[in-house]
Amino acid sequence: MSCFSVRRWRQSLLRGAVVVFFAYILSGLAIVSLAADEPQPDPAGIATGDKSTAIDAAGKPFVVPAPTDQSDPDYAQKKKAYDEYQEQAAKEPLAVKLADTAGHTRIATNFGWTLNTGYLVLFMQAGFALLTCGLVRKKNAAHLMMLNFAAYVFAFLAYYAIGYAFQFGAVAVNAAPGNLGGTPTLNQFLIGSGQWGFVGGKGFFLSGPAYDVGSNCLTLFEVVFMETAGYIIVGAICERITFWAFVLCELFVGGLLYPIFGCWVWGGGWLSQLGVSMSLGHGYVDFAGSTVVHAVGGFCAMALAIILGPRLGKYDSDGKPRAFPAHNVAFVVTGTFILLFGWMGFNPGSTLGATDLRISGIAINTNLAAVAGSAAAMLFWSFVFGKPDISMACNGMLAGLVAITAPCAFVSANSAVIIGILDGILVCVGVLLNERVLKVDDPCGAISVHGYCGWLGAVCVGIFADGTYGAGWNGVGAASYLGKAGQGVTGLLYGDSSQFLTQLSGATLCTLYAFGFTYVVFSLVNALYPLRVGPEEELAGLDVPEFGMLAYPEDEAMPDMVAAGSQR
Amino acid sequence: MKKIEAIIKPFKLDEVKEALSKEGIQGMTISEVKGFGRQKGHTELYRGAEYVVDFLPKVKIEILVENERAATVVDSILTAARTGRIGDGKIFITSVDDAIRIRTGERGNDAI
Repeated sequence: MSCFSVRRWRQSLLRGAVVVFFAYILSGLAIVSLAADEPQPDPAGIATGDKSTAIDAAGKPFVVPAPTDQSDPDYAQKKKAYDEYQEQAAKEPLAVKLADTAGHTRIATNFGWTLNTGYLVLFMQAGFALLTCGLVRKKNAAHLMMLNFAAYVFAFLAYYAIGYAFQFGAVAVNAAPGNLGGTPTLNQFLIGSGQWGFVGGKGFFLSGPAYDVGSNCLTLFEVVFMETAGYIIVGAICERITFWAFVLCELFVGGLLYPIFGCWVWGGGWLSQLGVSMSLGHGYVDFAGSTVVHAVGGFCAMALAIILGPRLGKYDSDGKPRAFPAHNVAFVVTGTFILLFGWMGFNPGSTLGATDLRISGIAINTNLAAVAGSAAAMLFWSFVFGKPDISMACNGMLAGLVAITAPCAFVSANSAVIIGILDGILVCVGVLLNERVLKVDDPCGAISVHGYCGWLGAVCVGIFADGTYGAGWNGVGAASYLGKAGQGVTGLLYGDSSQFLTQLSGATLCTLYAFGFTYVVFSLVNALYPLRVGPEEELAGLDVPEFGMLAYPEDEAMPDMVAAGSQR
Repeated sequence: MKKIEAIIKPFKLDEVKEALSKEGIQGMTISEVKGFGRQKGHTELYRGAEYVVDFLPKVKIEILVENERAATVVDSILTAARTGRIGDGKIFITSVDDAIRIRTGERGNDAI
């Protein structure tokens, strides 16, 4: 059998694996998603948001709930407050009706905010496509654009089928998104229960309990976050992975790798509940995903880059790295600015509501860390190598953004600047470490930007969080924490060492999880069907062997020019 | 007939073209080329990895002239293209056996 037909044969097997994967999902899990549920979902949005969701600026609800626990020492006081509320409500029925409207309007405002910030995050795809395309060699530009494009398409489908249910299928148990009406129908873990949930179990295929306006709003916002993790890996594995192997990577990230860790932290899973279950700070806290999104993507990318090996010619016979310079710096810079713009949705949007006014501080912190990170990278590079590197200046901005993503809501402006500076330097050191010491070939710096800086970002929550925000986060601190009512998430510098320990171990666990899970799965896949293109294709550039067209056809357009000339 | 090939700095192209027009040169062929001379290229750093820029961009001008005009044409290129710094380029002069205008079939000096 010729070499060519062996490759064909392998490719069709790999394609077959993708089809089987989908068929498995469809047949096995459709039943679970369609089971009858209590309470009922609200697909039209007419029952989401009433007087029970009307709250004042401090988060105090309009409706006083009836106290149920008679053994509570404050029972008498609560009962009195409840009776007073009932009496007033009976006297002023119009006020109660008004509260219904106010509650609905609050939820509607938050829907608008969450959806629109989600659209900003979606636009980050364009930024990342430009950034990574600019950083690779011209001969692989079309291939890289197709990877970015297919990442969105296939990871989305995997997340729709199983990812969302795994991540948020039990969100109402411990982490109900109150700003969106609470999604009470997503209330069951597939693995685990109570404070020790590991994988969510409702909402497969977005049907049944997930056929609900609140849930759909959450899905839109969360799927674009997953896509962020999905496209991060492109930056480290590009210029040598086959298209179909890449599609398999995306199904893995969107369906399994990302949602499971996401469930632990954002879906009310066990990591987030450590504050209640083990008295560890406010539990593991990652506001917008330094680890949940970025470190997961970054360390998954690292495992894949190690399995694939460096690009041909990246290291000479002495092991000295060779430069493969960026082919379009304008793309790199424009892409970075689009990412910065998209991050204004990523972080402030993670409140899931504009009625949480902390959004303004979050937006400022996000920007500050970005510029501080970029400045630090430029200065560091000038100091070490004589002049700033444009692509590293851009990586520095992204490093600041990745790092501030976890602490953005919990820290002050000055801390944001310090976090940005730390990560602007870390990203440079990380790129040099990968390139010169570990010899992991990472064309776009994805491992350093998203992996290393994501890890440090989550640790920074445990250092710099100032306690002004996050009371009641993961069920801790609303009544009393560190001897104070309403104490928010607090870092080492402000007196809570247990939060620091939680962040350090949680972030480290994330890196081990993402790296280990990916490494095991794709080492096996690679042993069966090589993930990497053949050496001839790699040297020629992947555009034509993989897709039959060039990104820049005019470069090889002699026949076209002759044809055009003959028509005159 | 002589063929004059001048390899010059790209930003000098306009000045050389003007100078040649003044000399009455009616046609020329140019191409973007890359190369190095005694100076070789220079080393740059990209994301921490060194690379050598071996070939620097230049413009090559090719013109055909009658034997008797060659010396003055070369002089005007020299004046226009010279900056006095490294990398100003080179001029090569070769004898040409014949030239033919494709449209009419004219040959020799008539075809220039």
